[in-house]
Amino acid sequence: MIASSASLPARSAIPLVTTVARLVLGGVLIAAGWLKIGNPSDSVVAVKAYQLLPDSVATTVGYGLPIIEIVVGVLLVVGLMTKVAGVIAALLMLAFVFGIGWAWAHGLRIDCGCFGGGGELGVGQEPSYLLDILRDFGLVLLGVWTVRFAPGAFALDSTLGLAGDTGGDGPADDDDHGEDDQDKGTRA
Amino acid sequence: MSKGERMKTTAREKIKQQQAAQRQREKRRRVVTYAAVGVVALAAIGGGWLYAASRSQSEEAAGGDQAPVTVQSDGSVVMARSGVEKPVLDVYEDFQCPACKQLETVSGQTFKNLAAEGKAKVVYHPISIFQREPTRGNSLRAGAAARCVADGRQWLAFHDILYKNQPSETVEGFKTNDLVTWGKEAGVTSPDFEQCVTSQKHAQAQLSYADKVIKEQKIEGTPTVKLNGVALEGNVAFTPQQLRDQVTKAAK
Repeated sequence: MIASSASLPARSAIPLVTTVARLVLGGVLIAAGWLKIGNPSDSVVAVKAYQLLPDSVATTVGYGLPIIEIVVGVLLVVGLMTKVAGVIAALLMLAFVFGIGWAWAHGLRIDCGCFGGGGELGVGQEPSYLLDILRDFGLVLLGVWTVRFAPGAFALDSTLGLAGDTGGDGPADDDDHGEDDQDKGTRA
Repeated sequence: MSKGERMKTTAREKIKQQQAAQRQREKRRRVVTYAAVGVVALAAIGGGWLYAASRSQSEEAAGGDQAPVTVQSDGSVVMARSGVEKPVLDVYEDFQCPACKQLETVSGQTFKNLAAEGKAKVVYHPISIFQREPTRGNSLRAGAAARCVADGRQWLAFHDILYKNQPSETVEGFKTNDLVTWGKEAGVTSPDFEQCVTSQKHAQAQLSYADKVIKEQKIEGTPTVKLNGVALEGNVAFTPQQLRDQVTKAAK
């Protein structure tokens, strides 16, 4: 809809923008998951620190979070199940935004392990909350873009014919079928 | 409708049908591929979750009796079979620290088992690492109260109860009357225990011990677990199997 009304050069740039969005979002997720996967206790402590979930749920989430981040990140990077991965990634990031906002509002200090040292946490803490929220919200937007303009260029979805016809390789009158299939894909 | 028109319609419908069948096949193939990818992704997530859970699987309590526990004069606590001098496993922890509670939950039993099996000399160092209220006060009250327990076995029980009741980092907790109750729950019978806790008799000792240990051992955060003086990586200390392997290796 937006895509078809846009001018031609803008339209051809969209798949590339989607690819960049996918790579950034996927890269961040993979890195975040990778840092945590060797030490599941770290992510359990981190999830518990938000005091949003009961302990047993927090433990389950803490074990699962790193691997979910990695799998979703990989799917985004290679452009497989782009829409589903994009939706999950956006929801994850939205949850992080909510969590950090919650922590901020409740004056929780989210840092894993307990670092003593000086009192520099007091002053340095609040701006970093805001920065984290802005960063994660930016990633939410990348996720939304990815879902809206999936799968972008260089995506396995297109190679495997999972992407519908929005890749631009089909004739123009196929567009409505493409939309149709995409909607199915989102639900799958 | 004329005959010609009707033929045209049937031809068009035929093409339409073929297209529909083609689309149907495409769709089926798409669904199968999609499902396959989805199954693989879910399997990876499930496998990863199981892996994480198994790494954090705590050991069972060993059937035999526990290793003797001795409270040292400086407030550190030794848990070891008599004659076991190495490898030494130093545990630097803070009763208020959530990560220490997690360490206790995941690896606490491994420390006890290793000591009971005579495979290590475990030394607990309860320090106070927080600089801001309310965590600073919470940690100090708990640490000072632990110093009121002279009996090793009771100390260890008190230690475990403190972690079980660890307050949130945002509220005042470890209140002295609670600490007294938990002490009694841990089996402390000494008559001056209550007074010792409520007057925070050992608060100063706890502070200076913490300062000294943090400086001398270059403790950057809690928990820190050292094996023969060398700090273990977090993923070792928090992984019972790896912890056990490292300690067993160090014993050779």
